[in-house]
Amino acid sequence: MLKYSFKRVAQSAVTLFIVVTFVFLLMRLLPVEGYFGDRYDKLTASQREAVLHKMGLLDPWYVQIGGFYERLMRGDLGTSSIYRQDIPVAEVIAPRIPYSVYFGLVATAISLVAGLAMGVHMARHKGRFWDRTWTAYVVFINAVPLAVYLLFIQLYGSDLLALPILFDKHRPISWILPALSMSLAGIAGYAMWMRRFMVDELNRDYVKLARAKGLSSSAVMVKHVMRNAYVPMAQYLPAAILATISGSIYIESLYSIPGMGGLLVDVIQRQDNPMVQALVLIFSSIGILGLFLGDILMALFDPRIKFVKSEGAR
Amino acid sequence: MDEASVIVKAEAAAAASRGIDPSLFAFADFDREAGERIGYSNYSYWRSTLRVFFRSRLSVLLLVSLGLLLLFTFVQPLIPGQKSPTVIYNDPATGTQYRNVAPGAQFWFGTNSIGQDLWSRIWSGTRTSLLIGFLVGIVEMLVGILYGALWGYVRRLDRPLTEVYNVLNNIPTTIILMLLAYILKPSFRTMVIAMCATGWIGLARFIRNQIVIIRDREYNLASRCLGTSTGRIIGKNLLPYLVSVIMLQTALSIPGTIGWEVFLTYIGLGLPVSIPSLGNLVNEGRRIMMSPELRYQLIFPTLVLSFITISLYVLGNAFSDASDPRNHV
Amino acid sequence: MSAGDCPAALASRAILSVRDLVVKFNLRGRVLTAIRGASLELAEGETLAIVGESGSGKSVFTKSFIGMEDQNGWIDSGSIGFEGEDLAKFRREEDWLRIRGRKISMVFQDPMTALNPLRSVGRQIAEVIELHQGLPPGMAERSAIELLARVGIPDPETRHRQYPHEFSGGMRQRVVIAIAMACKPRILICDEPTTALDVTIQAQILGLIKALQKDFGFTTVYITHDLGVVANVADRVAVMYAGKIVECGTAEEVFYDPRHPYTWALLSSLPQLGIKGRPLYSISGTPPNLFNEVVGDAFAPRNPQALKIDFVHEPPAFEVSPTHWAATWLLDPRSPPVEPPAAIKAMRAKYERSLS
Ligand SMILES: Nc1ncnc2c1ncn2[C@@H]1O[C@H](COP(=O)(O)OP(=O)(O)OP(=O)(O)O)[C@@H](O)[C@H]1O
Ligand SMILES: [Mg+2]
Repeated sequence: MLKYSFKRVAQSAVTLFIVVTFVFLLMRLLPVEGYFGDRYDKLTASQREAVLHKMGLLDPWYVQIGGFYERLMRGDLGTSSIYRQDIPVAEVIAPRIPYSVYFGLVATAISLVAGLAMGVHMARHKGRFWDRTWTAYVVFINAVPLAVYLLFIQLYGSDLLALPILFDKHRPISWILPALSMSLAGIAGYAMWMRRFMVDELNRDYVKLARAKGLSSSAVMVKHVMRNAYVPMAQYLPAAILATISGSIYIESLYSIPGMGGLLVDVIQRQDNPMVQALVLIFSSIGILGLFLGDILMALFDPRIKFVKSEGAR
Repeated sequence: MDEASVIVKAEAAAAASRGIDPSLFAFADFDREAGERIGYSNYSYWRSTLRVFFRSRLSVLLLVSLGLLLLFTFVQPLIPGQKSPTVIYNDPATGTQYRNVAPGAQFWFGTNSIGQDLWSRIWSGTRTSLLIGFLVGIVEMLVGILYGALWGYVRRLDRPLTEVYNVLNNIPTTIILMLLAYILKPSFRTMVIAMCATGWIGLARFIRNQIVIIRDREYNLASRCLGTSTGRIIGKNLLPYLVSVIMLQTALSIPGTIGWEVFLTYIGLGLPVSIPSLGNLVNEGRRIMMSPELRYQLIFPTLVLSFITISLYVLGNAFSDASDPRNHV
Repeated sequence: MSAGDCPAALASRAILSVRDLVVKFNLRGRVLTAIRGASLELAEGETLAIVGESGSGKSVFTKSFIGMEDQNGWIDSGSIGFEGEDLAKFRREEDWLRIRGRKISMVFQDPMTALNPLRSVGRQIAEVIELHQGLPPGMAERSAIELLARVGIPDPETRHRQYPHEFSGGMRQRVVIAIAMACKPRILICDEPTTALDVTIQAQILGLIKALQKDFGFTTVYITHDLGVVANVADRVAVMYAGKIVECGTAEEVFYDPRHPYTWALLSSLPQLGIKGRPLYSISGTPPNLFNEVVGDAFAPRNPQALKIDFVHEPPAFEVSPTHWAATWLLDPRSPPVEPPAAIKAMRAKYERSLS
């Protein structure tokens, strides 16, 4: 187990390094206007070049990367160029982290409780009324673009339930709609996976033996099938939590929540390259962290996983 | 009494059989083929798939109505008397634009805030979005199959391809998509390219896993031993298995791309406003959604969009179920 | 008929008696009859083997004894008499919970997948003991360790805490047997208990079941393709074809004096019986499609020497000896004489020589 964790840590570190480098290089393809803000038109070509040179953007890419990692080690993510001119990126982002984390956790809690219950319910009524009803929900959520149905929730949710249409940190009631919106996709996702895992488990031979032992079908469900179905769920859990945090980009922006996701949309629209770069790095690291934690969690629960796992493809 | 069942049966049955025509106690002609014929009826994969698919009334209904809708979408510009999706219409009486005209006889679905005809914009937008969806779906399918097949079959490529997979899989899709759209600058082509960048990953992984499983599976070993050619193995064993997934993937990539398009448009990385698309229309509708009397501008495009995405999603899943050999009789 | 007519061995101590059992399945809107009126008597303490080719319905038949047909299956008619009750009438789960694991236990074919991979072996055994004997967890665990020792797992004190993947196939099958034995059932059904194991392990497992049977005194039903197993362990043999028992008798009778053409075909296809220089016999054709109604003898279309009547009337069970019967028209006095295949005759001759 320990050996497996170490191996997995090392693997994640390598992946993170590759991802960061890859993203960094991609960012070099960005239009250079994003480094100047509204000064761009005022400067002459040679002045622009001087600025770019000062920022190190004209150096060969490997020098740039070296410098970037060196600064990263010191916790320096660069400075914002347009959004909050000349303010360190870290300073812009820091106050926003709590909002993203808070909404991410609340939404995850709601989706987990509701989603798992729904999935178990579906599996137990497989092919019957409730299974079909919940399936219709899952289909709707998966088929209709998030960007569309969330709009309607904001619109009619605020209308019909008399809830605030925008986020206001002083009014807890304004937190309801965004938190709920963030949970909807999660509920559908957890329900679908839980149902699938339960059905998978139900078809396994050990269930036959458990029944032949004389266990009642509800005991088989609770003691064997559900317990076993949670294990593969555990693998997706951290990734899902973190995905909620980063996936709320749209919702944060829709409700003007001062979190990181809404910020990303803002800085993309204003073409603030250093901010975009920093946020993309943060979100990518969150993704890697999620997959890593999932594997560790899975290894904790599943005695069969010791050190090795079939490479790559999950 | 009960315990004697076997014997009772024997004697009772023997007694009952006494009235049987004695001429029947003669040898019958042996027909070797008859022994085979009584077994399971000949099975055709595709026929079974279609039969299972068409058994669901919902699938048939959705298929027919989606077919009609698509047909209409492409025929619509050819119908005489249709308005242009991009022309701004002016009121001849006042000479000003027909802004936000409610749905009525002249503009069936009303006009938008600059006086364009929403009805024709919706169909034009549907064409654009479907085109993006089809293109992306096809590219994803080709890349996914190619990548997955190489990944699964060529053992030497396993490591590097796994690494590439890991990197792409570790970055959230939203981020990759936003980044690419940001770097490439909005246009029809870059939209397609950006959306193709991640969608193939799932398919590639699936195909790779299936190939590895099936490659090692016993029945393939057996068919190899029996001298079946590789092409036949793929055709007979692999392909039917993969068809369900590929169909699902392709059917789902259209709703997926439409969703991404709406999202990218929202954050300002979508198609230029001059090209009507479902994403653009929804986004235009979003801007004025706070005035209840203008909400038709959001609702009409949404209805068309949701109908398309839901029916494709349901049909894709239904076909994938139907083409799964395990669901055949 | 009075009980006096029956073979004493059967009548006095019959523990389970199945009569005309019909089991059907609903498969995508079509009804399939997997068991078409099978009858069987099980005597207390005996070992019965059910043989027959794949798909003949052996598993479906025996699973119905513990109410474990698949979701889409049901007992259509017939009866299963056990301890004065008719199990075929059971509808509610509570009824079955009195029987399953407690009175009738089952060991399945594949030990590799039969255990829950995420729970320790000891827990899985203790679970049954707690359930059926109402012991508290601590005592159930002790019992589980004893059982593990009894089925020949070395070092049960540490091993009971391990997980199934840490056990070899043979050891897992021992664990499964321990689970089946945990409540001292009256009947143990083994559905191909050794097919998934290699030959030496097979013999050990069979030996273990035999030894346990001596200790606990239960009745055993073996389902197997392996006629070698049958010859080694079975007192009686029932031959199943297309959802029906077509011949039943003591092991000696079925092996050396088989009467049903299907039994002939089955035995002739044994490699051990092959006659040098002749190709090994194999049964041509396929078993009938169970979706269709079978008219007459189900085996007739594959039987080169079938009678006309085989295609018209279903043969009744003809008694050969008090312990042996077969359902074939060949036993009717009006049938033309039909010789069993050479391999069968050779075997019989060998047997008779060994007797004299
Ligand atoms: N759940 C089910 N639904 C439909 N048909 C079934 C089901 N279970 C079994 N059958 C059918 O019943 C018949 C008997 O199956 P069964 O598993 O009892 O055969 P078997 O004699 O045990 O074969 P094997 O030796 O391969 O284990 C088969 O034709 C099978 O297709
Ligand atoms: Mg079986």
